[in-house]
Amino acid sequence: MGTFIERAKSTCALGGAIVTISSLPRAIPIVHASGGCATMLAGTYSQASGYKGSGYCSGHMTPTSNVVEKDIVFGGEERLEEQITHTIKIIDGDLYFVVTGCQVEIIGDDAVGVTRRFKDGKYPVLAANTPGFIGNGFKGYDVVLSTLAAEFIEPKAIKAEKTVNILGIMPGQDVFFRGNIKGIQRLLKKLGIKANTFFGDGETIEKIRNYGDAALTIVFSDKYGIDTAKVFEEKHNIPYITVDLPIGETRTEAFLYKIGKQLGIEPAAINELIAEEKREYYSYLERFLDIYSDIDLQRYAIVSADINYAFSLTSFLADDLGWVPHLVVINEEVDDISKKKYELKFNQLTSEAKPKVIFEQHAGQLLNHIRKSWKHNTNEKYYDALSPAFLVGSSLEGSTAQKIGAAFLPVSFPVTNRAVLNKGYTGYLGGLSLAEDLFSALVSNR
Amino acid sequence: MSKLTEDLTYDYLSAEAAPTREERIEATYAFGGSCTGLKQGMGQGCTKYNSRKFAQGGGCQLSLALGIVRSFQNVVVVIHGPLGCASNNLGVAGYSKTFRVLKHKPVTDNIWLHTNLDENDVIAGGIDKLREAILYAEQEYRPDAIVVGNSCVPGIIGDDIDSLIDELDGQLSARVVPVHCEGFKSKFVATGYDSAYHGVLKKLVDPIKKYDRTAPEDVDGATADAAERYLHSKTVNLLNVGSTSYGDEVELSRLLKALGLNVRVMPLYASIEEISRIGEAALNISICATHDDYLIGHLKERFGTEYVIDTLPIGIKNTNQWLRVIAKFFKLEDEVEKLIAIENEQLEAALEPFKKVLKGKTVFVGGGETRIFTTAEFYQSLGMKVLGLKPHNFDRFAVPMIDDIDDQEAVIDVAPGQPSEELVVLNRLRPDLYVGHTGANAWVTKLGIPTTPLFGQSFNYMGYSGAFELARKAVRRLQNTAFTKKIGANVALPFRPEWYESNPFDNIKEAQQG
Repeated sequence: MGTFIERAKSTCALGGAIVTISSLPRAIPIVHASGGCATMLAGTYSQASGYKGSGYCSGHMTPTSNVVEKDIVFGGEERLEEQITHTIKIIDGDLYFVVTGCQVEIIGDDAVGVTRRFKDGKYPVLAANTPGFIGNGFKGYDVVLSTLAAEFIEPKAIKAEKTVNILGIMPGQDVFFRGNIKGIQRLLKKLGIKANTFFGDGETIEKIRNYGDAALTIVFSDKYGIDTAKVFEEKHNIPYITVDLPIGETRTEAFLYKIGKQLGIEPAAINELIAEEKREYYSYLERFLDIYSDIDLQRYAIVSADINYAFSLTSFLADDLGWVPHLVVINEEVDDISKKKYELKFNQLTSEAKPKVIFEQHAGQLLNHIRKSWKHNTNEKYYDALSPAFLVGSSLEGSTAQKIGAAFLPVSFPVTNRAVLNKGYTGYLGGLSLAEDLFSALVSNR
Repeated sequence: MSKLTEDLTYDYLSAEAAPTREERIEATYAFGGSCTGLKQGMGQGCTKYNSRKFAQGGGCQLSLALGIVRSFQNVVVVIHGPLGCASNNLGVAGYSKTFRVLKHKPVTDNIWLHTNLDENDVIAGGIDKLREAILYAEQEYRPDAIVVGNSCVPGIIGDDIDSLIDELDGQLSARVVPVHCEGFKSKFVATGYDSAYHGVLKKLVDPIKKYDRTAPEDVDGATADAAERYLHSKTVNLLNVGSTSYGDEVELSRLLKALGLNVRVMPLYASIEEISRIGEAALNISICATHDDYLIGHLKERFGTEYVIDTLPIGIKNTNQWLRVIAKFFKLEDEVEKLIAIENEQLEAALEPFKKVLKGKTVFVGGGETRIFTTAEFYQSLGMKVLGLKPHNFDRFAVPMIDDIDDQEAVIDVAPGQPSEELVVLNRLRPDLYVGHTGANAWVTKLGIPTTPLFGQSFNYMGYSGAFELARKAVRRLQNTAFTKKIGANVALPFRPEWYESNPFDNIKEAQQG
């Protein structure tokens, strides 16, 4: 039983489905819903994800059946068929993917059945049920990719030993998704591993069709993409592992050792790669030494992020930059067992101080949690304040940072006060980018 | 008060929701042809039930309705629906904040809640969650008003939000405002404006406390409150819309103040207290009929407050016309002519250098109906040729504006969104400049056509200073089109080659109900 949510940092399943489809190479979403859903939901990620924009066929370009009251009363399947027929005629795509909104699901339209009428056509047409009421954006991401894995990707009996499928980095919800994928791809390539990314540079629908030959699925999440990984496991006989988003040295090293072991790569090769990357990493990080030390840029770290970023960000701040992790608030709902498991991760942090970890769905409660986390100033002469502090979160946390006098960098969705193009935070290079952005925030008023 | 609203009535408040624009005014949402064709079509009413074979997103009433109410000061918006409904709040939260900064209002965050309807709620109903959400909003934020926006799901499953709001009435310090706007109800997203104002009028607007309607001629002699009564008789509401910038508000207020009027800019970004007293004015002045005829029509019927609903004050001709209609009400015909003469003379001189650059250039304008016609008329007055227009919808409020376009064979594509139709037209016409609504400009850039936004938060578009800015902006835009050319040459639009060769208006199904 869900609850109401204050300022949820997500859209609905349909929103997640649209952003996922439209981030696939030349894939065309066809939205079977009321007039507003397609544009409005596509607009959410287009704007609030570092201005990622509409891309090839999203935003106002999104084909949609725009059902009206008449269709709600008499059923909208005919209207959908008409829309699919004309979309294929007009819009130049390699894959057409019908996703459904609340209205047509409540009245029982069979969108999947309608798309079967197109199965002998020249272009692949898929469908999935994605009404907003089945969950938030990540649900739509998993439904779309699961459908691809189950119905589009061809089974392959023989696996390519050094090929992996990458899941868990959701377009839009991860503001830096393309850069993050690129960062991971780069490291894997150095180990001779080919990564199937769905959304990365150079992907095509034809390539995605052949993802069945991977030897392993790596899910960069404890939540997003797990359902899809299971479909790959059951249908394509591809096992999966989950890893934390590798941001900076500590987490990237852990990631490399883990997949090295899984794929049977010589430890020497992994060590060599790590040594090479670290030489470069520290040759750049060295640049911060003077300012970091001369004006003391160590901070109390407060992190407010989604489940993919929360631990990885905190680990980077604590394990790589030596900041004091104080409070981590995750605006997401997971079951109690997953919560416990997730909280235990923070024991790995090398810092003496371990942060308080809170799962809280209401984004607006952050200030209350910060206040509760630190003793109030009762007008003491000597007061040990939560200062200097740095808040890493989403753009919704900007005013909270101001209220507590903390420096601030938005990283996790939504991000509306930064523009993001090819930047990513994964790997050693990504760690440098993040350090650059954090320290820039601290000196930006100079 | 206006020919545009003749025969319209506004006595709808006893209903839960505002009627759709389909029911309320003659309007079209799908038409392709020429200015002449549209004018004749509107006359015969055969444009009314058009629809499309291939459709793209048209916009959401809920989103437009919340665009009004979330701007009010110290309100919390509760969206009764799944998480996706109005999730564009995430994108516009920062935008609203910037608007507050620019408009010199208290800089606060937008606060909104979702009832987050799930599968259980679809079966069992979501009223209990809505109650919890409203109580949370009251406890956490102590807002002046809590606005409940109703989405498609509760509309279909039949959640009775009004009964809940009646139940809570008087128990909370906040006023609770229902806004009914199920997206599937209307093809005209502007119905969302009526939905918002329906709730505002029902719950936020108070009876006039001090004076009944006061006309200037009624004020006479040296009674005790003559001065105040005089001020009241000169007080006007300048009704702003989502796209009016602070620059626009300053410029229009400047002109009205020059006529001796006392200007209150509202309702967007106003406080609940200010909105509650909206009835206490001598005149309501509209700058966009599409936006607010429902509000001012109702205020006229309820309080007798006269209104001006005529044109949108963009460009010289339309600003002059707008001022004249207002001045006529206050019997300031001589004063307004003096003002217009001075302003026009100064502006014409300032525009000379820009005219030299723009003369003979071509332009296409897309967006809200009254805004695009007035903008096109202005660029035309600078010597540009209007090749075409794309109104999101078209109704009685813009019919007279068709005559302002010199070339009556210019293309009109009535389409909310629908870039597929518009881009084929643009690909043939190849205007020198495209002026477009948010969401359209990127696609046009991919054709390699330079664009400039139809409105924006930090730019002045209205009044005389706005005209100067529009001219200046077009000239600047055309000074360097390198980015546009490079994008046009390197980024693909998602159309098949045959689509560019076809008649895009074959996509419109004529006069089919629904």
